[in-house]
Amino acid sequence: MKKKKMLLSAKTMDLDMVKKVEQLSGTSVRRCFQCGKCSAGCPMATFMEHPPNRVVRLLQLGQWQRILAGRSIWYCASCETCSTRCPNKVHLASIMDALRKLSWDQDGPSKESYVQLANKLFLQNIRTYGRQYEMRLAAVFNVKSGQFLKDMMLGPKLLTKGKLKVFHQKNRNLADVEKIFSRIEEMRKTGEAL
Amino acid sequence: MSTERYSYYPGCSLHASASEYDLSTRELFAALGIGLDEVPDWICCGATPAHNVDELLSLSLCAKNLELAGQMPGDMAVACAACFSRLKFTQHVLHENETKRRQVEKAIDAPVPLDRTVKHLLEILVHDLGVERLAAAVTKPLAGLKVACYYGCLLTRPPEVPQLDDCEDPTIMETMLHAAGAETVAWTHRMECCGANFTLSRPGVVLQLSNAILDSAKAAGADCIMVGCPLCHGNLDIRQREIEGVYHRHYDMPVFYLTQLMGLAFGIAPERLGLDALIVSPVKLLRDKKLL
Repeated sequence: MKKKKMLLSAKTMDLDMVKKVEQLSGTSVRRCFQCGKCSAGCPMATFMEHPPNRVVRLLQLGQWQRILAGRSIWYCASCETCSTRCPNKVHLASIMDALRKLSWDQDGPSKESYVQLANKLFLQNIRTYGRQYEMRLAAVFNVKSGQFLKDMMLGPKLLTKGKLKVFHQKNRNLADVEKIFSRIEEMRKTGEAL
Repeated sequence: MSTERYSYYPGCSLHASASEYDLSTRELFAALGIGLDEVPDWICCGATPAHNVDELLSLSLCAKNLELAGQMPGDMAVACAACFSRLKFTQHVLHENETKRRQVEKAIDAPVPLDRTVKHLLEILVHDLGVERLAAAVTKPLAGLKVACYYGCLLTRPPEVPQLDDCEDPTIMETMLHAAGAETVAWTHRMECCGANFTLSRPGVVLQLSNAILDSAKAAGADCIMVGCPLCHGNLDIRQREIEGVYHRHYDMPVFYLTQLMGLAFGIAPERLGLDALIVSPVKLLRDKKLL
């Protein structure tokens, strides 16, 4: 997909996506005039196949599938440098959030599975325990990603320093937390929220 | 009233990998005679993963915490830069966007207290208490200690959200440390990203970005780094040995939480500041500077 020659026509351009992203992110995609300041300051640009300014350009040209197929949006660290420096007040970090959500809703057609797995486990932990338990998060991530030995050397050191809690309590207001998740799901089903 | 009593939102990291930040925060505030009441049953703010894929969920989780803190007296004191950023973002977005506010209020089934002031510890120390009161509380000046103040991303960016200090050239950390008698160095990477939560999914990213930060601090002649964020701390301190191995460098650069350095200056015993929990031991440095 990403190496294919780009042909622009009504058939190959998905401009509805621009409107959806603008609605979700609350910022303008069309206002970007490609100065490239976002990519110049982006600490993660070296890890991306499409640097941030090109992601916006692809979006403007309706090439949403090209963005989805790559890893770029999942390699954004949300450091907010791009949004801070944009001369046209395009809030690019929010556009990245919107793109990830749209990709996520399509159940991740991207190749970047580790970041998505980490996100998924993180959110599951909140729903189950109300808070994040780092040891559990790291252990389950290693098992699910098949990297059993990842950071194995750090474990004992962190335990002796009191930085990993093996036992933890559940919040008393877990029912409230569950309601937040289920009400949002309900709103999405009825079309009340995106 | 509001300057002397705060509702405290520690965040998940401070109950585990950053327990020394929690400990030193409580000790520091007790020494200054400021009340700190932990918000009962606070929940995770959602951090980066929530807003990464589901903004509505992220806003709702933070709104729930604002609602819980809203039932307590005083402004909200937040230690973690990421939690601070998310809570401020929620207030900002819901203030600007009526539709999202309605959705969030439906999700948490309560009104969101948008006027509740959320403050990072730095703001409380430097703005609410003021430099004079800090300087007056110093019993053991950090004389001769050269500190690289590391702001990272979320304390100042994007400028309209945290409104804590200048978004490209902040000075709040330096101001605080000068009151404690320390020296600060000018360096290039004080605002650069450390790799944040890629520490779980793609640690290679963190090694590369954090190596650049450690390298810059070392080149500027710093003895140590000071941070106000548990994620930055984890990446610079916990992963420092690994970084040294991968990039064949030798840093041996202790990374302190801001509350630990201020606590030392206020004469609080080192064991009550959790200095022993740091992975890169600061003992030699502090002995050399006659601070231990």
